[in-house]
Amino acid sequence: MSIHDELNGIRERALQQIALVHNLRELDDVRVAFAGKKGELTAVLRGMGALSQEERPLVGKLANEVRAQLEKALDDRKVVLEQEALTNQIASETVDITLPGRQLYPLGHQHLVNSIIEEIEDFFCGIGYRVVTGPHVETEYYNFTALNTPPDHPSRSARDTFYVVDDSCGADGSITTGVAGESNVLLRTQTSGVQVHTMESQKPPIYMICPGAVFRPDAADPCHLPQFHQVEGLVVDKGITFGDLKGTLDAFCKAMFGQDRATRYRPHFFPFTEPSCEVDISCGVCHGKGCRFCKNSGWLEILGCGMVDPNVLSMSGIDPEEYSGFAFGIGVERVACLRYDLPDLRMLVEGDMRFLRQF
Amino acid sequence: MRVSYEWLSSMVKLPKDPSVLVQEYTRTGTEVEAVETLGTNFDHIVTAKILKKEPHPDSDHLWVTLVDVGSANVNEHGEPEPLQIVCGAQNFEEGNCIVTALEGATLPGDIVIKKSKLRGVASCGMNCSARELGLSADHSGIMILPDDTPCGIPFGQFMGMSDTVLDCEITPNRPDCLSMIGMARETGAILHEDINIDLPVPTEVEKKAEDLVDVTIDDPELCQRYVARVVSGVKIGPSPDWLVKRVTAAGSRSINNVVDVTNYVMYLTGQPLHAFDLGKLEHDEQGKAHIVVRAAYDDEIITTLDGTERKLTHDMAVITDNGKTPVALAGVMGGQNSEIDDSTVDVLLESASFSHAHTSRTSRNLQLFSEAAMRFERTVDPEGCAIAADLAAALFADVCGGVVLAGRIDEYPVPWEPKTLVLRTERLRDMMGAPIDDEFCVESLERLGCKVKETTVAHIFSVVSPSYRPDLEREIDLYEEIVRLWGEGDIAPTIPAARNHSGGLTVEQARKRIVTQTLRSLGLNESLSYAFVPSDDLERLHMTEQGRGSVVELMHPMSSDWTVMRRTLIPGLLRSIGVNQRHGVQNVALYEVGRVYFGRPGHAQPREHEYVSGVLCGSWHEATWNSPSQPFDFFDIKGIVEALLNKLNIQKIRFRVPNIEEYGFTHPGQVAEVLSGGTVLGWLGQIHPQVTQEFEIDSKVFAFELDLEHILQLANNVAPYEEIPTLPAVSLDLALLVDEGVSAEKLEQVMKSAAGKNLETIRLFDIYRDAQKLGEGKKSMAFALTYRAQDHTLTSEEASALHAKVCDKVFRATGAQVRGE
Repeated sequence: MSIHDELNGIRERALQQIALVHNLRELDDVRVAFAGKKGELTAVLRGMGALSQEERPLVGKLANEVRAQLEKALDDRKVVLEQEALTNQIASETVDITLPGRQLYPLGHQHLVNSIIEEIEDFFCGIGYRVVTGPHVETEYYNFTALNTPPDHPSRSARDTFYVVDDSCGADGSITTGVAGESNVLLRTQTSGVQVHTMESQKPPIYMICPGAVFRPDAADPCHLPQFHQVEGLVVDKGITFGDLKGTLDAFCKAMFGQDRATRYRPHFFPFTEPSCEVDISCGVCHGKGCRFCKNSGWLEILGCGMVDPNVLSMSGIDPEEYSGFAFGIGVERVACLRYDLPDLRMLVEGDMRFLRQF
Repeated sequence: MRVSYEWLSSMVKLPKDPSVLVQEYTRTGTEVEAVETLGTNFDHIVTAKILKKEPHPDSDHLWVTLVDVGSANVNEHGEPEPLQIVCGAQNFEEGNCIVTALEGATLPGDIVIKKSKLRGVASCGMNCSARELGLSADHSGIMILPDDTPCGIPFGQFMGMSDTVLDCEITPNRPDCLSMIGMARETGAILHEDINIDLPVPTEVEKKAEDLVDVTIDDPELCQRYVARVVSGVKIGPSPDWLVKRVTAAGSRSINNVVDVTNYVMYLTGQPLHAFDLGKLEHDEQGKAHIVVRAAYDDEIITTLDGTERKLTHDMAVITDNGKTPVALAGVMGGQNSEIDDSTVDVLLESASFSHAHTSRTSRNLQLFSEAAMRFERTVDPEGCAIAADLAAALFADVCGGVVLAGRIDEYPVPWEPKTLVLRTERLRDMMGAPIDDEFCVESLERLGCKVKETTVAHIFSVVSPSYRPDLEREIDLYEEIVRLWGEGDIAPTIPAARNHSGGLTVEQARKRIVTQTLRSLGLNESLSYAFVPSDDLERLHMTEQGRGSVVELMHPMSSDWTVMRRTLIPGLLRSIGVNQRHGVQNVALYEVGRVYFGRPGHAQPREHEYVSGVLCGSWHEATWNSPSQPFDFFDIKGIVEALLNKLNIQKIRFRVPNIEEYGFTHPGQVAEVLSGGTVLGWLGQIHPQVTQEFEIDSKVFAFELDLEHILQLANNVAPYEEIPTLPAVSLDLALLVDEGVSAEKLEQVMKSAAGKNLETIRLFDIYRDAQKLGEGKKSMAFALTYRAQDHTLTSEEASALHAKVCDKVFRATGAQVRGE
């Protein structure tokens, strides 16, 4: 068999085999079998030295042709096989995208009360207020006296205030107060005492809010907790008017409950503000028509407020002829109830994961 | 305060529809808590007339009557049609006007009137006696009304029983509104109507009251004024209808004429009264009794009208019989020893103004709360005492058949003095931001009882407030009155200009938010628990008091669950885990940021500190198709704390094994103190299984508690920029066989000190124990070490040399054998 025939034979067989391989590994085997170091084509090329001068160029030309053809066929086949392999891989990797995603640890949730407090803080910080805090265990001076509460006001009774054993005057703290069961130290019943602390330590202008826990001896039931939260607000500046109080609280109510909610100001009494009022917002369920949620009144009580009583200003060293101000107190649990219609406030202090994760 | 619409309308012109007044009350600051309609229990009961009376064919005592009920019963043409009613009464004649209950009426005792047959004769209703109507005990026959009574009028309306009662919440600054007269005055000011109050004056007999009794006030601080009158020959009996109606509308039960009169006068004028049996007091030779108002002695005893024996203190005021036996607890309740009864002849009527402060304390100390005490607590007008005494005396004569002795005894040591206030209406307008004109100001104050005079200066008035308005003592008090009547709703809203201040959170407040946000992003849910806890909480927790100050105790805890202020947040969180487990929720991850209270002997107030604590119990989640469920362990809680402290960029974080003695509440082998440099930030670890059992938790709990204030102080908001390395690094692994007692921290320290700054990171990637292969008490720890130089490309020779140094140093320092070589 001539070397020509041999080369042609290699070409034929190689191309045939290349066409038949199924994968890249088989293709490589074919490459090695023909074009590898010990491959058939390589062997033929090695044997070229034995050829005559005349034959050598002709055979050389043919051999190069065969090699080029072979390499091209190998490359082409490789591209096809790679494409096939990728297609197969992709096909095999298809997933049921309706399967649930991987369960990482679940994100935690903020407590409803604190998230409302932060929302309130953000509103007031945005209109130039600072956030301050004060002690929970307060003296009767800051909780009552400095807030213009008369010495024998009923709200001071142990029915309405948690008194604490006064560590500064022996075991029986009531010695100094004249009423058994009362002492000079108590759990604050309102955040209003922080108004006084602020006015004592800071000169006007004062624009502040104070969020925090307050305590009253109410048995825990669906509508009451002995520990709940208020946000106190205080503004003292030159030229502050009752209109300023209204404008501020109107904007607040709209920010918290929606732009479509109306407000109503009802005169009321608080010892530390004068004039004082309670603020209602229009019912979000019936929009003022009256329904079960608002007990048919069309209105929901939301906060108490008023112009700072001149006595409170003077007691804190601020001249009421020069400065005026307003103060307000927002019940955080009240806001929570109005927003979510909670059936039972006690859920707020139980730590039930099923409740906490809803907000 | 229950306000009868009918009663009020006798003093001031009211709108026809009570809801209009309710709206006006709401607008001006009187909250109406409820609107009650009286007289509705006389539904389907009308006035009627007997047209025909015939004997019942089948009875010797029943009558068959034909009764005209006017248009209350009509035929198919709409014309009135009389009803046939069988009646057993004997006291009536044809032509009498009577009261008839129609079909559908319900009489007291839940008797429902239906059409029926009585011994075969149809009966379409019932002719009623006074007892059947619940009006009196009279059952001698049916009620006979005056002959000119029209037929078919609803009986409630005919009797004037129908009324609307507004239940008003009176704020503590308005003692005047605890009276009908006060409400009339307030209503007149709201509606711009004049009021008409006409009180009867007693007709006196010649005999003088002062011959029978005198009054001494020991201390005017206890009692500003004491007015007494004597009414002789009082007969206790039922009250007339008009009196029953008024005291009932005001919220009392009708007791008898004497009690009803005193209550009536209190409701009308706001002045609490007390009636003593004068005969039960000691009399001197001249037949004279001596009333002395004095402070009680400590431990003095009085039995009050409710039959309770009360022990008094020197802070309380008593009315005494000649300074000796107390006969009443001033302002709060009368004594049993001087109570009026059927044998009473002479009544001593007391109308006094007792100290609001003493009454308030007495009432609170004795837990004795009465209508009278409630009014004294809010201040009773001393100027009104005499008027009320006269009114009551006149009514005693009129209603109880007594005669009024001449004169009042009136002790008034320090009379009330009017106060003159300045009203600057310009300032009012400025401060309210409202265009309220002078005319409105003057009219409003005058209608409320003030005397207003112009001054020489425009827009400045002088105002004298009335004695019944102790709340009007400063200019601002006048502003309040004017503004609430003018309408707070009509003031235009404005927002103060922010021209001289800026808002925002402080650095620490913002950091606190980062703390809680981070904990939530790490999977913990925020919880809130009570600041007061059971007194044995620390004990149950096996936590020492050391470093936690003294306990802050409530004087009157509401329950044994809430007796002291908490000194750690952990029990609250454990209780929440318990709640969850009882509800079948096994996987619990909670945190709380809250105050703890460390008492300081000698100080009134404790030190309040803010802590942040967290608990893990169960696992993050149940197993799913591609994520197995992994129960929480020590390193979950540690990972959370590490992540939190890293987020806050707190430097030099260390964890160390604490003194176990102080950590009785934790698993002794799984607890670490958390430090930054030398500052202890708190601890983390597993709660001791005994403690979890105490708190009724049936699985492991991992917890941490950190001092939030330390954390906020040590946090760094701005970390300096670090160059990102560009030169290649060399990674080499190191497997060490060490004794169990060798800590990871120790190994890392040695490696770092051996390699110096070119050792970039140490990553522990495997721990392996096998007693057979490695030996008892041994563990194999595999580390990946990354070496990198900052100034040149580290060659593999350099890296190998460093690594060899590390191996050598670790071996020498810890006895570790390098494995796999």
